[in-house]
Amino acid sequence: MLRTGLKRGANSAVMLHKTMPQVAQELHACIGCNECLLACPVVTGAVTIDVLNSETLAGPISTPVARFARACYQCGACVAPCPVGLHRDAMMMWLKVRMLRSGWGE
Amino acid sequence: MMAVTGQREERKGETGYSWLFFAGGRTWFMRLVAILLGAGSGVAFYVWYTQRSNDLAPDSLAGYAYAIIGTIFLLLAAFLYALRRRSHSKRAAGQLNKSLNWHICFGVLGLVFLFLHSFGNFNPRSGTYALCGIIALTLSGIVGRFLDRLVPRLIAGEVHKALTVQGDDRIEIISQKLQAIVVHNSQKLRGFTPVPGAKFYPGRDKSGSGRDKSGPYSMVPLPGPISNDFSSGYKDQSLHTPWDLAYISLEATPQELSQEAGQYRFIPDKKSELTRPGALMPGAQEHFSDLQEVERAMQREQFYRYIIRYWRKFHIMLALLTLALMVWHLVFAAQLLLPTILP
Repeated sequence: MLRTGLKRGANSAVMLHKTMPQVAQELHACIGCNECLLACPVVTGAVTIDVLNSETLAGPISTPVARFARACYQCGACVAPCPVGLHRDAMMMWLKVRMLRSGWGE
Repeated sequence: MMAVTGQREERKGETGYSWLFFAGGRTWFMRLVAILLGAGSGVAFYVWYTQRSNDLAPDSLAGYAYAIIGTIFLLLAAFLYALRRRSHSKRAAGQLNKSLNWHICFGVLGLVFLFLHSFGNFNPRSGTYALCGIIALTLSGIVGRFLDRLVPRLIAGEVHKALTVQGDDRIEIISQKLQAIVVHNSQKLRGFTPVPGAKFYPGRDKSGSGRDKSGPYSMVPLPGPISNDFSSGYKDQSLHTPWDLAYISLEATPQELSQEAGQYRFIPDKKSELTRPGALMPGAQEHFSDLQEVERAMQREQFYRYIIRYWRKFHIMLALLTLALMVWHLVFAAQLLLPTILP
């Protein structure tokens, strides 16, 4: 389910979060072209796309990916360059939620 | 033992998302050193110059130097990052982050040098307006960086409320539960729906002799078909009992029969559990409040995302306004300066 905020137009609407199955679907669709990381103003060189994809959905989160997830400010710069039309910001938000919940002991 | 603990830590990975996380790196450190060195050298020269010279004005030689250096820094801050973002050649992951760090560095240095360029003259002229624009622009950038740290953390908190532990949509889960409750209640109420053809009336036992003790909702059929038309329904029956006993008949009265005509009203017993508010929908109120909570969380998430989006646009608008004020100030200064230079 793609949720949008205002319905005035495509430019004025913001995309809200995605569910875990949707994130999983997008991760499976990722071709690993690295365009999202090239457009990201936050990521440092320590994170690669395959490591990020493998740690996004489940499992332990390495320190570089955790730093990247905390620093991501959901600007959406990664969405436009994606040739497959995926939402890396939604995947990063799922990582943030995972880290938030892990901090609460869930 | 140590190796086992290390493996366990590695398996667990990074946890937690604190408000005050630090994401500094080598570039961040270089930026800090550059800001301190640049600003320190500018201030040191200012102190040295004010002790040696009496010409403490923005249009002095030192003032021009400060103006040129500050303007260069601001232009570097504005255009290097913007060009890097739009560049499609020789890219690598992390370069944009370095550009962003230098954007912040040049912005802060530009503010410091242009502030020193004023030499404390804050007359209400074009230069002061331009300086105010630069201060507002830099402050909006600093506030924006704080918002970039805080607001995504707030969004993550709201998303946590809107998703289940497994990551599913809570609205869908709650809707399914509510649907199940509706189905359950409709099945429960269907038991009370009078069957067409059979005559029912509430509160009587099977003999029709009084109130039923088996339950508050039981409905029993009347003994035999009874027509509403009494003049035709009873015309063939002879009165074997004395005429006055007709008034204590246990048959349904016309008032009772009229309740069945056309519509049916379910009136539970006063002692029934169904008279309790919300009893027909056990758990529904909790689900409704959960639904409202999720909707509020999504509204807040939307609001936070608009903050991120529009603060960036606000920063860009301030940059354009500051650029316009600087051009105005340069034209104003050129009008004063050129007649003194040109013959």
